[in-house]
Amino acid sequence: MMDLDGMFYWFGLVVVAAPCGLVAVLGFSALVNLPLSETTISRLTQSAVLMSLLPAIGILLLMIATGRRYVPIEFGDWASIPEVHFHFRWKFIFDRLSVPFAILALVLCGVVGSFTRRYLHREEGYHRFFLLYSLFVAGITISALAGTIETLFFGWELVGLSSALLVAYFHEREHPVRNGQRVWSVYRLADASFLLGALLMHHLTGEGDFGSFVGQGTWPDGSAAISSLNALQIGLLFLLAAAGKSALVPFSGWLPRAMEGPTPSSAVFYGSLSVHLGAYLLLRVNPILEASWQLQIAVVALGLISALFGSIMSRVQSDVKSSLAYASLTQVGIIVAEIGFGFYYLALIHIMGHACLRTLQLLRAPTLLSDYHEMENAIGMRLPDSKDRMAGLLPIGLKRWWYRFGYERGYMDLILDSWIVEPFKLVFQWADRQERRWTDWLSREPSRESDAIEPHRESAERVA
Amino acid sequence: MITVQSNVDIPEHSVDRRTIDRWLLHATHFLPSQGPIKVFVHHNTLHAFEDLSFDEGVLEGLRIYNSQPYFSEDRFRKEMQTGRIRLKDLEQVLLDDLGNEADRLVASFGTRYQLRLAMMQYPLRTLPDRELTWLIAEGGALQEFFCEVESEDIRSIVEKTRNDLSDAEKASHERISILPKLLNGSSVSTLEAWPEAKWKSFTLEYLWAACKQGVQSSDSRTIHNGDAQTPLDTPTPAEQREANRLVNDFLIRFCGCYLDQGFATWPMPDREHGFLNAFCSLYGSRMAMLPGWLKQLPTEIVRIRSANQDAYEVVQEELKRSQLDSHACEELVKRKLLALRGWAGMIWQMETSAPWTPKPAPAGSLVGYLAVRMILDRLAMETIQSQSQRSTGLWQAKRLDSQSHAGRSIESRAFTIFQIAQFRKWTPSSLVTLNAAEWTQLLKEVDEFSSLQRRRVFQLAYERRYRVQALDAVAVHSRKRREKRLLRSSSTLPKFQVITCIDDREESFRRHLEEVESRCETFGAAGFFAVVMYYRGAAEAHFRPLCPINIVPKHYVCEEPAFSAEMESDKRSQRRKLIGRVSHQVHSGSRTFLGGMLTGLFGTLATFPLVARVLAPHITSRIRDSIGGLVRPPATELHLERVGNGPGPEWDSQGYSTEEMAGIVVRILQDIGLVKDFSPIILFLGHGSSSLNNPHESAYNCGACSGGRGGPNARAFASMANDSRVRELVAHAGIHIPEDVRFIGGFHNTCNDRVDYYDLDRLPWPLRALFRDIQVRIDDARARNAQERVRRFESARFGLTPSEALKHVEERSEDLSQARPEYNHATNALCFVGEREWSCGLFLDRRAFLASYDPKIDDENGKIVERILQAAIPVCGGINLEYYFSTVDPEGYGCGSKLPHNIASLAGVMTGAASDLRPGLSAQMVEIHEPLRILFVVQTTPQIMQRIVKANPAIRSLVEGDWVQLALIDVATSQIMLYLKGEFVPYHVQNNSLPEVGASSEMVQSERGHLPFATIREAFGDATSEVQS
Repeated sequence: MMDLDGMFYWFGLVVVAAPCGLVAVLGFSALVNLPLSETTISRLTQSAVLMSLLPAIGILLLMIATGRRYVPIEFGDWASIPEVHFHFRWKFIFDRLSVPFAILALVLCGVVGSFTRRYLHREEGYHRFFLLYSLFVAGITISALAGTIETLFFGWELVGLSSALLVAYFHEREHPVRNGQRVWSVYRLADASFLLGALLMHHLTGEGDFGSFVGQGTWPDGSAAISSLNALQIGLLFLLAAAGKSALVPFSGWLPRAMEGPTPSSAVFYGSLSVHLGAYLLLRVNPILEASWQLQIAVVALGLISALFGSIMSRVQSDVKSSLAYASLTQVGIIVAEIGFGFYYLALIHIMGHACLRTLQLLRAPTLLSDYHEMENAIGMRLPDSKDRMAGLLPIGLKRWWYRFGYERGYMDLILDSWIVEPFKLVFQWADRQERRWTDWLSREPSRESDAIEPHRESAERVA
Repeated sequence: MITVQSNVDIPEHSVDRRTIDRWLLHATHFLPSQGPIKVFVHHNTLHAFEDLSFDEGVLEGLRIYNSQPYFSEDRFRKEMQTGRIRLKDLEQVLLDDLGNEADRLVASFGTRYQLRLAMMQYPLRTLPDRELTWLIAEGGALQEFFCEVESEDIRSIVEKTRNDLSDAEKASHERISILPKLLNGSSVSTLEAWPEAKWKSFTLEYLWAACKQGVQSSDSRTIHNGDAQTPLDTPTPAEQREANRLVNDFLIRFCGCYLDQGFATWPMPDREHGFLNAFCSLYGSRMAMLPGWLKQLPTEIVRIRSANQDAYEVVQEELKRSQLDSHACEELVKRKLLALRGWAGMIWQMETSAPWTPKPAPAGSLVGYLAVRMILDRLAMETIQSQSQRSTGLWQAKRLDSQSHAGRSIESRAFTIFQIAQFRKWTPSSLVTLNAAEWTQLLKEVDEFSSLQRRRVFQLAYERRYRVQALDAVAVHSRKRREKRLLRSSSTLPKFQVITCIDDREESFRRHLEEVESRCETFGAAGFFAVVMYYRGAAEAHFRPLCPINIVPKHYVCEEPAFSAEMESDKRSQRRKLIGRVSHQVHSGSRTFLGGMLTGLFGTLATFPLVARVLAPHITSRIRDSIGGLVRPPATELHLERVGNGPGPEWDSQGYSTEEMAGIVVRILQDIGLVKDFSPIILFLGHGSSSLNNPHESAYNCGACSGGRGGPNARAFASMANDSRVRELVAHAGIHIPEDVRFIGGFHNTCNDRVDYYDLDRLPWPLRALFRDIQVRIDDARARNAQERVRRFESARFGLTPSEALKHVEERSEDLSQARPEYNHATNALCFVGEREWSCGLFLDRRAFLASYDPKIDDENGKIVERILQAAIPVCGGINLEYYFSTVDPEGYGCGSKLPHNIASLAGVMTGAASDLRPGLSAQMVEIHEPLRILFVVQTTPQIMQRIVKANPAIRSLVEGDWVQLALIDVATSQIMLYLKGEFVPYHVQNNSLPEVGASSEMVQSERGHLPFATIREAFGDATSEVQS
């Protein structure tokens, strides 16, 4: 008979290992160009998700039965540099936050996986989709259960990578690729900010273990052992990271653009899981939030502004997927605000409910026409124009301004483009010109060989 | 490309409104005519080009829409490898295509026919110059012959070269100036000692050098495409593309909001004042940001507003600014509309022909769109031209453009000849003897038979193969039937008769019915059964037309709760209303701030429907169904008989008068030739299709009912034909329906193969036992039908029993994740118009539309067949051509993959987050389709057919332009006449054997692809044996 710790250990290991194994199998077969049949792929996927889900539920039951609220699992000490107080180890924790979130993620991934099994039937990129999907499942499981900031970052990166590649899933068309790149660049920004925050944390506490700065209390009752100012610094960086990942203001522009992939990937990623990951990060580091009231105010403000903007933008959109994307934003904003206010359990419940509902809505998005038809039939006339509570109160000029604001999606893409991307580009172009001038001068002739090379024609001939 | 004209041509005064209107109207012909997708109607994608011939039309399509005219050459070659196209077909169509020109000699290398055949038989590679250089230098093109060349041929070419060379050596030909260089000093004696491989590569090098020299010597190398003198300020294609991208991205969102049918809770302000006004009001507001290229937009808007210009004036001004002559202006208008043709087409449809939608577009929307588009295009182009010096991406794209404009290089042309020479076994020494004039001729011949021409001929061969099989099968089968019928003693009255739509999906259903009950007779008539009406179901909110799209109904019919069940019905309709209100509230509320919060908190509940619907769709749908029973209207009846005056939508003018009903009944019974020998029960089945998560659902419904479900039409027809007063009037027309004959209406769901019947309570007692029996037969037939259908679905394993197959198709229609609920009209290729007698028992693999027609009751002018064809040729031809185009170019003509589809404005689908609206069929719908022009086989005489073709412009353009294929059959002799360039020529059967199988189910067990024709013994009617027993 295995003792309790042993059971926790093995269960926990399987929860994380199963999705990673799936990545390995699907990735390897793609690497050696060994095509798997659709049935094999979907069987593998289903069993991996199930193998991960069942022990997760087992752990939940064990935790309830034994009353333990905090179960850490570690694999070795991979790197330790005592001089600079650096530790690196894989550590996963099972507590009241991570277990529900992991179960939620696995249930949704499982459902969407089995939806996709039929939806993508006969599709050329079937294997590719499921490979990216497995990467996503692994990423989201690792991030959910991460016990150190490095582990969380690793999962977070996998999620980002697979999400961006899935946005660009239909890579033979221009828009998905463009939008995939856009998502990717925002994610990189968030990653950079996350990494800075992690470094700063290391610098302050000597390790990335959540436990160490959270103190000995278990979630959500931990308290940070760092000063208020440090908390504000780290917290703002994490908030920026969360904003990028959860498409909060001012990064909301990428959310509707992410709706380029096949419907199920949009549903599970941007409707429900990816988009909540930022909020999840904030929940994970909640002691830092509590350590600084300025930070809390910032979180609440960002959440409420995002929610408000999201609801304005959502009511102006005329296509179903954009509208649902902004509706998601509204709720994520509210969730972030709830976290700022300190209602952690509420936020967690809200995440779970919202993720499930939105997944269902997005999967059913193509039914929209018949839904409207059915509702009209039931009511027996044209659907009444929804009463616009907010708009009704505004004077007409202001109303138009807000309409325009929502229509332009809060000008957010524009702001990012013209205030960040454009100056960035100008600087680099200037640098490029200087370099060219310098090297030309050095070599006394045009120094760029690449200028003379003709670009390759990709599409040979549509019609000869 | 617009070129700037000299100032003389520019009109002094601006164009007037009527001219703009005319240009606009002309340009709209090129826009897709698909309206809001809720009513999807199949039609010829290139309807606008029907006045041209098919081959000219598809080339126009290529020019205007940049969409493919035929399958690619590679695809056709694959079809040759699988044996779908045989060499024989290719030879035959090529001979027919060339006519007298076939034997014309090309240089000294044989005939034009041989040259062309070689060019089609073997893949001709066209490579970019760099790749070609590599292939020659290092890729082994000069070491090995192409893999398609047989080893024997290689040996003979090498052998010949060897002999020629030794002769040449002896004669020391001076003309062969390339030889010394190639031989590189080797003498004749060393040549003899060369190994085989060396000879091979030498032959190839010699051949290549000869080709190059020949092309150089020809005077055709000066041929260039593109004129060099485009003015400097004309935008390059790269700039044009970039500008289009900016403007399109910008306009897509605006069009989406402008056309929105009530999805957004916040409608666009001033939308009711037209496109331009809405645009100015949205972008005229201050305190807003604009992207760099639109910095001038507010100024423009202020100018338009202060001058109080309307859309026409803006267009006039922009045209004036462009300094073009009037012809170029017209072209410009067309191009502006085509730049985003899905949206522009939808604006036009919503403006002109969608009064039934919640929010039709105000008049003048399209000209407003044009005005806005012109302003934006100008602004975008100004910005881009000022920027393009700086932007390297554009500069590279420009270089690419200039590359593509240069003519083909000598190497590239020589490489084509190099390939043909290998395939045709031309020796290098024979090539070097050609003079410049001969080279010019050869190159011209090769150029003339371009890839497009080859694809056209491939298409002909592709069609010929199927046509020959089909016509052979018809000729042989009809003869068999005739001979069999002579044996049969007397015609017994059929046990029951079934009338379905002519739809190709009903072909298999009818065939199975005839197999399970040989004494059943089936007919096909256009699925609205001549009942032209606006119909509203008891649980529906609006009237919708149930008739072909080109007819505007005058009559209104409501389904009403049965007189005795009104109380119950009211209760249920209250419940429905409540549910509707709540679900609407949840639907829109979940996207708002507070509502979203509430639904979010309780959203975990959504897991149950989510998991249940995805993992167990069948059970979930059962549960939903039984819950639905609580709110569905109870027993109903049709309000079919008019009590007041004149047809109209008001309650007492709904319905038909007895005379009108009699007219409908006579019309249908005459059309299908059912004027005597009525069986006791006659079943009329309308059809439709139900599926989930499918924006294109209405495309799967009955095409003759404007994408609606045809059940109500069948029900209405049956009620009319059962009415004794109607029957009296019908008798005046010579059709005597015995009193004990009953008509029953029904509905066949082609997706889950369910059949429902209407108004069974009214069936007299004596007939009920018979009806039970019929029901059993129909259940049997639909299960067998399902079994035949599932062979096409890869997700259904082989060898399903009929009942398992039925369950499989039921699950498909209830599955949220199913992208292919059914294959709809895919694979359609035939349409028979005539008696069922000669096609009964012929296995057609669900590829034929079957319209019933009996020439015996028609007059000598073919009045009845004319009215059948008036509907059948445009409708079936339209369906077929839409499938054709969506298959040959799913992205250009179809709507691409349905996986990333996104419903926009409740009116159409976009691909992904934002794109042009996508009309046409999705890749999933057409993946098993073979793009063949439909072949009509009509049972009539050439004289009658010629008259009909002449008298009906709609038929004439399709038939004479070869958009459809046409054949006639004389059933008395099984002689088939084929329509060929305006005449009917006798068709000679090529293969007299037609396989026979016991039952359809034997055919469909283990094959996913298309099946051959066959005679089915079971359906041959064991009438003889029954009579004997």
